Amino acid sequence: MTTTTAGGGVRARRPRALPLRYVVRKTVTAFGTLVFVVIVNFFLFRVLPGDPAKAFSPRGRNADPNRLAEIRRDLGLGLPWHEQFWAYVKNLASFDLGVSWGQHAPVSRLIGERLWPTVLLSGTALLLAAGIGMWLGARAGWRHGSRLDRVSSSGAVTLYSTPEWLLGLVLLIVLSDLGVIPAAGMQNPLSELPPALDIAWHMVAPVTVLAVVYIAEYSLIMRSSMLDERYADYLTTARAKGLRDDLVMRRHALPNALLPSITLFFLTLGFVVSGAIGVETVFNWPGLGRLTYDALRGPDVPLLQGLFLTFSAGVILMNLVADLLYPLLDPRVRAS
Amino acid sequence: MISPARRLALAVTAALAALVLPAVPALAEDTPSPSAKTTFVLGIKQDIDSLNPYVGVVASAYEAYQLMYDYLTGSSEKDFSPVPGLAESWETSADGKTWTYHIRKGVKWSDGQDLTAKDVVYSFQRAIDGDTENGQYGNYVANITKVSATNDYTVVMETSEPSPSMLRLLVPILPEHTWSKVSGEDVGTFANDNAPVGSGPFKLVEAKKGQSYRFEANKQYWAGAPKIDELIIRVYADDAPLAQALRTGEVHMVNDISASVFESLMNQPNITTSDSKYSGFTELAYNVGAATVDGKAIGNGHPALKDKRVRLAIDHALDRNVLLDKVLRNHGTIASGVIPPIYADWHWNPGSAARAFDVAKANELLDQAGYPKGAGGVRAGPDGKKLEFRLFGRESSETSKKNVEYIRDWLKEIGITVTVSIMSEDQLTAVIGEGEYDMFEWGWVVEPDPDFQLSVFSCGQRSTEDGGEISAGWSDSFYCDESYDALYEKQKTILDPAARTAVIKEAQQHLYDNAVYSVLYYYNNFEAYRSDKFTGFVHQPSNGGSLVFQYGTYTYRNIAPVTNQTAQKRSLGGIALVIGVGAGLIALAGVAVVLFSRRRRVTADERE
Amino acid sequence: MKTARSIAWARRRVALGAFWQGYRRDREGLFGLVVLVVFATVAIAAPLLADAEGLSLTKATGPRLAPPSLAYPFGTDEDGRSVLTEVIWGSRISLLVGLAATVISMVIGTLVGIGSGHFRGFGGGVLGRLTEWFLVIPYLPLAIVLATVFPPDVPRIIAVIIVIGVTSWSGTARLIRAQTLSIEERPYLERARALGGGHWHQMSRHILPNVMPLVLANTTLTVSIAILAETTLSFLGLGDPLRMSWGKILDNAYSGDVITSGAWWWALFPGLAVVLVVRAFNMCGRAIERVLDPRLRELA
Repeated sequence: MTTTTAGGGVRARRPRALPLRYVVRKTVTAFGTLVFVVIVNFFLFRVLPGDPAKAFSPRGRNADPNRLAEIRRDLGLGLPWHEQFWAYVKNLASFDLGVSWGQHAPVSRLIGERLWPTVLLSGTALLLAAGIGMWLGARAGWRHGSRLDRVSSSGAVTLYSTPEWLLGLVLLIVLSDLGVIPAAGMQNPLSELPPALDIAWHMVAPVTVLAVVYIAEYSLIMRSSMLDERYADYLTTARAKGLRDDLVMRRHALPNALLPSITLFFLTLGFVVSGAIGVETVFNWPGLGRLTYDALRGPDVPLLQGLFLTFSAGVILMNLVADLLYPLLDPRVRAS
Repeated sequence: MISPARRLALAVTAALAALVLPAVPALAEDTPSPSAKTTFVLGIKQDIDSLNPYVGVVASAYEAYQLMYDYLTGSSEKDFSPVPGLAESWETSADGKTWTYHIRKGVKWSDGQDLTAKDVVYSFQRAIDGDTENGQYGNYVANITKVSATNDYTVVMETSEPSPSMLRLLVPILPEHTWSKVSGEDVGTFANDNAPVGSGPFKLVEAKKGQSYRFEANKQYWAGAPKIDELIIRVYADDAPLAQALRTGEVHMVNDISASVFESLMNQPNITTSDSKYSGFTELAYNVGAATVDGKAIGNGHPALKDKRVRLAIDHALDRNVLLDKVLRNHGTIASGVIPPIYADWHWNPGSAARAFDVAKANELLDQAGYPKGAGGVRAGPDGKKLEFRLFGRESSETSKKNVEYIRDWLKEIGITVTVSIMSEDQLTAVIGEGEYDMFEWGWVVEPDPDFQLSVFSCGQRSTEDGGEISAGWSDSFYCDESYDALYEKQKTILDPAARTAVIKEAQQHLYDNAVYSVLYYYNNFEAYRSDKFTGFVHQPSNGGSLVFQYGTYTYRNIAPVTNQTAQKRSLGGIALVIGVGAGLIALAGVAVVLFSRRRRVTADERE
Repeated sequence: MKTARSIAWARRRVALGAFWQGYRRDREGLFGLVVLVVFATVAIAAPLLADAEGLSLTKATGPRLAPPSLAYPFGTDEDGRSVLTEVIWGSRISLLVGLAATVISMVIGTLVGIGSGHFRGFGGGVLGRLTEWFLVIPYLPLAIVLATVFPPDVPRIIAVIIVIGVTSWSGTARLIRAQTLSIEERPYLERARALGGGHWHQMSRHILPNVMPLVLANTTLTVSIAILAETTLSFLGLGDPLRMSWGKILDNAYSGDVITSGAWWWALFPGLAVVLVVRAFNMCGRAIERVLDPRLRELA
C-alpha cells in the first residue's frame, strides 16, 4: 500500500539514507554474479581447442617443440583443473588477463588503451538518447492517442527493429562518397582542427546512429511508464483542482514516471555494449567493440575472454548502481 | 525549487562535460599539426601487432622494423640481389664457413652513441641464445656456430656448413646499450613503443595502437637523408574507409587493398594506381600422407591422395583461367612453380610442358588409377571407399572463400565429392599440424632467398610428436621424398649463384611433376598513391614490383612533395557541419529548457 | 457427462475465440500478421520463386554490381548474383534460425521461469539466481564467446541456433516467474495441492495454461530478438559461411566494399527485409499484449 500526499509523494524529498544492510546485500549479490561470470569464463575456454603457449611463440607454426612444452609447464597447463582455476583467479585479482595471441601484448593493457574511446562514444550517445528519448516518451505517453504519440511510437518501433550497425552502414554508403563525414576512425593526424574538435567531428556519425536507436528504446520505455502514471488515482485530485494539463504532467506524473525509467536506463546497458560492437566495427572507431571484432580473427581467445569479463563487469557495476539509486530516488519504495 | 526535469537536463549536461573533460589532458599531449614539415601518410590495413622486433609477425610490423633499424645487407631495388647495408663489404673463407663483415664507420644510434661491431654481435648472439628471439629469427642463425667482433668494426661469423643465406640475414641490428636492459623473460611482452633507439632511416616518436604511428626522418642516415620530414602510418581496418581516405587526401598512399576497391580508384584524378607484381602465390594443397618426422602416421587424410595420379587428375580439372578472371579479375598470372616470376633468377617455368585444363584427361587419369565412377557419378576405390574429400578455406580471405567454391564444383564434374569448411587461419594451422585434412587453400609470400620456401617440402619439416602432443612444423603437405631432400640439401650449400640456380630449378620441377601443390596463381599487390602530392616512388623490382612493403625502404627515402601543388581545399563544409551540429544541440537543449520552464509562475494551488 | 478436462478445453476454445476477436480489431496487429504471412510464403515457396543455382558463385552470369533493373529487380552483387535471389533464399535461413532459436529459448525460459516460481527452497532459488545472472550478462559478448567455443565439426548453423537460444531465455524466464508467483497465490492451486496433486501436475495442469498467454506474447518478441541476433552474428562473421541468410548478404556486402562502390541496393534490400520482419513480429507482439491486458485495451 503506497502512501500518497496530494503532491504525489514527491514533496517528501529529504535526502534518504540507505540502510547498510541493503547496500551490503546488493553489493554481495553483484559480486556473486561476477563470480559466476568468472567461473563461466574459465570453464568455457577449457573446452576450446587452441594452445595458450602460442602467445609466447612468435611464429606459432615453427616453435621448437621443447620450448613449447616448457612454456606449457610454466603456464601450468598440465596441472589439475582446480589448481589452474586458482591460478586464474589469482591472476585476475592482480588484473592479469593473459597475453593476446594476435597482438602479443598483455590483454589488460590492450583493454585499458581502448576503454576510453568506447566510453566516450557510448556514453555520449546514451546521455543524449536518454535525455531526448525520455522527453519524447513522456510527451507521447501523456498525450496518449494523439498524433504525436502515434507517429513517435510507430517510428520508435521501426527504429527499435533495426540493428544499429545497419543504420551506420547505410549512412556510410550514402554519405561517405559526398565527403560529408570522415571515412573512419577517431582522429586524423593530419587534421588542422584542434584534437578535441577533430574527435568530435569523427564522433558525429557513430553517435547519431547509436543515439537514434537508443532514443527509440528509451522513448518506448518512458511512454509505457508514463501510461502507468497517467491513469493513476492520485492525479484525479490534481486534475479536479483544475490544474493545467502539462503542469499536472510536469509536477506530478513525470517525476514518478521518470524513476523507473532512470533505473531501467541502467538496466538496459547490456544493449549498449552490444550496440557498441557493431557500430564501432562499421565506423572503425578504435574502442573495445572494434577490438572484439578484431579478436574474432584467430580467434584470439585470451583477448575475447578478457573483453567478455570487462563487458560483464561493467554491466554488473551499472546494475549495482541502479539498485542503490532506486530507493534513493523513489520514495514509494523502501529499501528492505 | 528546480523541477526534476530541469535537474535531469542539468545532470545530462554535467555528465557530458564530465565525459569530455578527462580527454583534454590526454589530447593536450598531441603534437601540434604539422604545417611547415613534409609529412607522408601511409594507410595500411593490418595493425602492427608489436613494435618489438622479436615478437611481431605481420607484414606491417616488419615494415616498421625496416624503418627503425638496419641490417647487415639489403636487397637491391632493381632485382633483389644483395647490396651492402651496415656491412660495407664482406669476405668468405675458401671453405665457405667463415664470413667476415666490415661494418660501416660513422653510423650513429638515434641517441647519439656510435654503432659498432659490438651491437652486431649482441644482436646475433641474442637471436642465437634467446628463446623468444630464436623463435623469431632462428632460421637465419641456424647454421651460425660462432659470432665475434675482432675489432670495433669487424664481425666474424663461423658456420657449420657453407651457406649462401649468409648474405640475406634479415636480423635487425639493435643497440646493445638499451636492449641489454630487457631480460629474456620480459622480451616476449616488451612493447618497444617508447621512443626506441635505432639507426634506421626513421625514428618512432609516437605509437597509438590501432590508430597511427608517427615516425620522424633521420636526417643523419648513412645512406642519405630521406626527403620527407615525417612519416605517419595510419591503420584502417577495412578497405572502404582506406580508399575514401586516399580520395580525400587523409592518406597519401594505400597498400594491399582488395581488387574491387582498387578498381574503384583507377582513373581517378590525382591518383595513380599500381598493379604491382608480387612475391606471393596461392595454392591448393594436398595431404600427401601425414606423418611425423619419425615416420609415424598421424591424422585421417584420404589415402587416395597419396597417389600422384589422383593429384595430377585434380590439377587437370582446375580451370585457372576462370579463377584469374572471376576471383582475381586478372590482377595476377597463372602459376605452376613455387618461386614467383618476380625472382627472375630463380623462377622456373614449365613452358610448353605445362599441364592444361583438361577434364577428359582428368577423368582418364582417375580411371587408370583405379577409381571408376560408381552409381551417382561418384568415384570409389578398390576398397569401396568413395572419393570424398574435405576442403578447407580461410575465413579471413574473401578470395579463399570463393576459390574453394569453384574447386568444389569442378571436382564434382570428375566424380569427386568435396565438403567445404571455412575456418580461421589459426584453427586451420592446428588442423594441418594434426594431419586431419585432405585439401586446403592457402598461399605463401616468398623471400628473395628461396631456401626457406623449398625447405617447407622437406621431410624434416613435418610435424613432431612430444609426449603425445603433436606440434606442427612448416610442412603443410607432409611430402617426404629422398630425391627432393637431396636437391634441397644440395642447393643449401652452393655458393656459386649459377650452379645454385640450376639445382633450385630442378627442385621446382620435381614439385610440379609430383603435384605436391596445385599452385593456382601469382597474385598482384594493389597499391595506389596521390600523384599530385608526392613523386619519386620506387618499384622493387624495377619492372613493376611493389612500392612499399618491399625488402628495403627505397620509396620512403626517395619520395618528395610535388612542387606547385594547388592549395589544399579546406574542408570548410566539414567544419561548418560541426559548428552546425553543435549549434543544433545547443538549440535543442535550449528548446527543452524553455518548454520545461514555461510559465514558471507558481501558485499556491500548484504547490499543494 | 463432461469431464473436467473437456470443460477446461471448451473454456480454452472460447477464450481463444475471444482473443481472436480482439486481435482482429487491432490494426497494428493485423498489419504485422499480414507481413509475416507474406514472408513465410516467400520462404516456403523459395524454390518456385528463384532458382537455387542463382546462389552459386560458379554459375553466376549477371553483370557485377548492377543497379536494380527489370532483369535484376534488386540489382546484383559483386559476383554477378541477383540480390533478389539471395534475399528470397536468405529468408529461409533467417526465419528458420530465428524460429528454432526461439523454440529453444522459450522452452528453457518457460521451464526455468515456472520452476523458479513454483519450487521453494534450494531448487527454485538456484533457478532464480541463474535467471538473474543471465539477465545481467550482456548478450552479444556472451554470444560471441559461445560461438567461438563451438568445435568446428558442429555445423555452424546449429551452433548459431543453440547460441541464440541459450543467450536469450532469461527475459522470458523472469516474466514467467513473476506470473507464476502470482498464480501460486491463487486458491485453486491450494486446492489442487490439498487434493494431492504433485509438482508436475500442478505445473502442467494449472500453472502452464495460465502462463500461456504471456508466453505467447513473449514469443513474438523473442523471435524478433532472435532474428536480429542472427543477422548481427552473421554480419560479424560468426554465422554459417556456406548458407545464405540476410545477415550473410550484409556481411558479404561489407567485406565486398559496398561503401566504396556505392552499391546501395546490396545492403538496402536485405536490410529492409530484416527491419520489416522484425517490426512485423514486434507489432504482433504489441497487439497481443494489448488484447491480453485489459488495462491497455481500454486505452487503445
